[in-house]
Amino acid sequence: MNPADLVAPASPLGFPAPYWFLVLLKVAGFTLHMGPMHLWTAGLLVALLLTRRPDAHARLLGERLIAQLPVVIALGINFGIVPLLFLQVAYYRVFYPATVLAAWSWFAVIPLLVLAYYGVYLCAGDLRQARSGGLRRLVGWVAAAAFLAIGLAFVNGMTLMTRLEAWPDLWRATSRAGAPLGTALNLSDPRLLPRGLMMLALALVTTAAYAVVDAGLFARGLPAAYRRWVAGFALRLATIGVVGFAIFGSWYAFATWSAEARGVMLGRLAPLTAATAAAPALPWLLIARQRRGPTPGAALATGLAQLGVLALNATSRQVVQNLELARFLDVAAEPVRTQWSPLVVFLLLLAGGMGVILWMVGRARSILRPVPH
Amino acid sequence: MHYPWWHVPFLTAPMLIAIVAVLHVLVAHYAVGGGLFLAAETTYAYRSHNLRYLDYLRQHAWFFILLTVVYGAITGAGIWWTIGLASPLATESLIHIFVFGWAMEYVFFVLEIVSAFIFYYFWGRLPTRTHQTTGWIYAVSAWISLVLITGITGFMLNPGAWPQRQSFWVGFFNPQFLPQVAARTGGAFLLAALYVYLHAAFKVKDPALLRLIEQRSARPALLGSILVILGGAGWYLFLPASARAALAAASVLNVLMVWLFAITVAVFAMLYLGPYRHPGWLSPGFALLFLGLGLAAVTTGEYVREAVRKPFIIYNLVLGNQILPAQMPRLRAAGILQEGVWPRAFVATHYPHLLRQGRVDQKGLLGLPQADQVLLGEVLFMHACNDCHTSSSGFSALRNLMRGWTPEMVRTVTEHPERVHFFMPPWTGTKAESRLLEQYLRTLVLPSPVELPEPMGGRR
Repeated sequence: MNPADLVAPASPLGFPAPYWFLVLLKVAGFTLHMGPMHLWTAGLLVALLLTRRPDAHARLLGERLIAQLPVVIALGINFGIVPLLFLQVAYYRVFYPATVLAAWSWFAVIPLLVLAYYGVYLCAGDLRQARSGGLRRLVGWVAAAAFLAIGLAFVNGMTLMTRLEAWPDLWRATSRAGAPLGTALNLSDPRLLPRGLMMLALALVTTAAYAVVDAGLFARGLPAAYRRWVAGFALRLATIGVVGFAIFGSWYAFATWSAEARGVMLGRLAPLTAATAAAPALPWLLIARQRRGPTPGAALATGLAQLGVLALNATSRQVVQNLELARFLDVAAEPVRTQWSPLVVFLLLLAGGMGVILWMVGRARSILRPVPH
Repeated sequence: MHYPWWHVPFLTAPMLIAIVAVLHVLVAHYAVGGGLFLAAETTYAYRSHNLRYLDYLRQHAWFFILLTVVYGAITGAGIWWTIGLASPLATESLIHIFVFGWAMEYVFFVLEIVSAFIFYYFWGRLPTRTHQTTGWIYAVSAWISLVLITGITGFMLNPGAWPQRQSFWVGFFNPQFLPQVAARTGGAFLLAALYVYLHAAFKVKDPALLRLIEQRSARPALLGSILVILGGAGWYLFLPASARAALAAASVLNVLMVWLFAITVAVFAMLYLGPYRHPGWLSPGFALLFLGLGLAAVTTGEYVREAVRKPFIIYNLVLGNQILPAQMPRLRAAGILQEGVWPRAFVATHYPHLLRQGRVDQKGLLGLPQADQVLLGEVLFMHACNDCHTSSSGFSALRNLMRGWTPEMVRTVTEHPERVHFFMPPWTGTKAESRLLEQYLRTLVLPSPVELPEPMGGRR
């Protein structure tokens, strides 16, 4: 069976905006989403491990990370809406079939996320009240496991979206009278493991960058010894992350990319690939420069650098995704019926909303005083 | 049929949408009304220098965040998550029409998150005016997000003139928009008060403070009840004809409408005679009863609101069996097994000999062995019927509905389902395909459990 025959027909409604605009918002949204997602995936694990260390500085960092996670998670969930929204608009012809085949794992994200989120709240509440709370710490580990399961569901769905050649067999194996039971999993995809590990490694770098940002910008009231320790720990963590990113990223690119994707990404788009591969070195260097203790300016630069890393990563992922789909459909070849007025209203509201947010954050920050532990 | 159909035994996939949606709206209305409550009451407490009330409001804000920012936000995204799985064609249509409506809503979601956290975590540290402003930013943002999503959900029930003038704004400001905004805003006021009563009944020990909370929450609750009734009336008046008829024809909806009206009246009476006229009645048990009735009303209302859309998912745009009406002529000519992406794949996989030059041989379908005809009939059932019916057991199971049916009755329902029930989508396949479906459905028919005596004078 030709997998291309399983692609849904184009919508008669056409794209509501030019393809490049839809993808731009998708990539931008995913960039913003990746940061919090990295923190709740790898950051929570790191934090839980730190709280078990005998070192008071380690425990303090772990506690701070966990205490901040509820806010991080809330923002991350909301940031995740945008890429999913524009993914569905631009890639619906392959997104819906793929997720229907794996429907139960995709659907499971909802209860898993409720479980994970409340678990983090319980864990954070326990730490804030300075009680031992072994049971609540256990809840933290359960939450971490739930987040990993969510990550697996996402990777499964996203890789399946471009692995159309797997659809026929998965469909035949997990359907009744042609109707999928939703139990398909794309576990045999060779991209699954290296891609997941690559993202986990990058998440360690994000966690390291975040720790530096926290120590440099939000923990200035804490002892200098603590902030120096954080800088040292962040460097070790970032080193592990960068090395892991290099190893698993190479595995992902050289061992699992299709010949077409490899030809383009290592050919005319080699600069993008190289930039994406090398980018984590920048936050690593910035973290290394702060070994004696983070400073506000350098910490902010570290955070921005990591955001740039995530942006490059999201961009490259998008290009690879398109290359993988090119064998089956031209994702951009749909009529465009730009909805100008709602688009403009959205952009105006976005700008206005950002202004309001900056005002609120500015007001909060202006009265923010160092709080001793 | 352009997308694979997710087969969920017992429930049907669309019922998962209903479950997630109901779980969401139980808290979503509180997310809006509770925000208004916190903004208004914090302003009042600051102006009246009521420190005890401020302390209570801070406690309530924590309760509010735990419910709305966590559970409410996740289940809200969960609805959208689920509709893509259980109703992909309708989701495709909606997202192409309203992507920027959802994008606008996203802006207000972020505003809500940021303002909620700053409002709570910087309580007592922000200047009074800034704190109040932040609270109102949340309240207004939450209400605007209610308005935005209501424009989209109202469109599903009555798109108004959109089919003729395919403009975002024509679709958004559909005939259902204002009534549903009123009803949902009323629901927000009402449920917020009921959540406040529940929280206060368990948390507040000071009788004077409890009375203050009772009194101050009663008025918006009563206003909310009135808005719900007025919005509900408007909702009914602006229903499409088929929706109104479905409301009248389905006995379960009749019962639910009576139930909804009775609950609303009961809650209104309890509010008026209790907290409004006689503050001091509030107890944990009373508060639980109050909230329970409110949640029951919201659940019932959501079910009715969704159920009356049949035979459409989006009125006049997407039929309940995931077909665009504009596609019907082609489907009836060429067949579902030919034009449907996944049904055709099934034929190509299991019966490749039926494909002639890439087209399904319609005549050959009825030449298949009986078992194969039944199997293909089941394939057609999945795409044409399983949106609303399970086969043997569970939600609206056909085995139960067709008890005692004759072969002629089965044939009629496969050829012209809309003539059996007007809220069923018409058959959109070929004649041969309806025979296949008939073969499958006949395997589900059980004899009537009732043995009627023969009429006098012998057999008819």
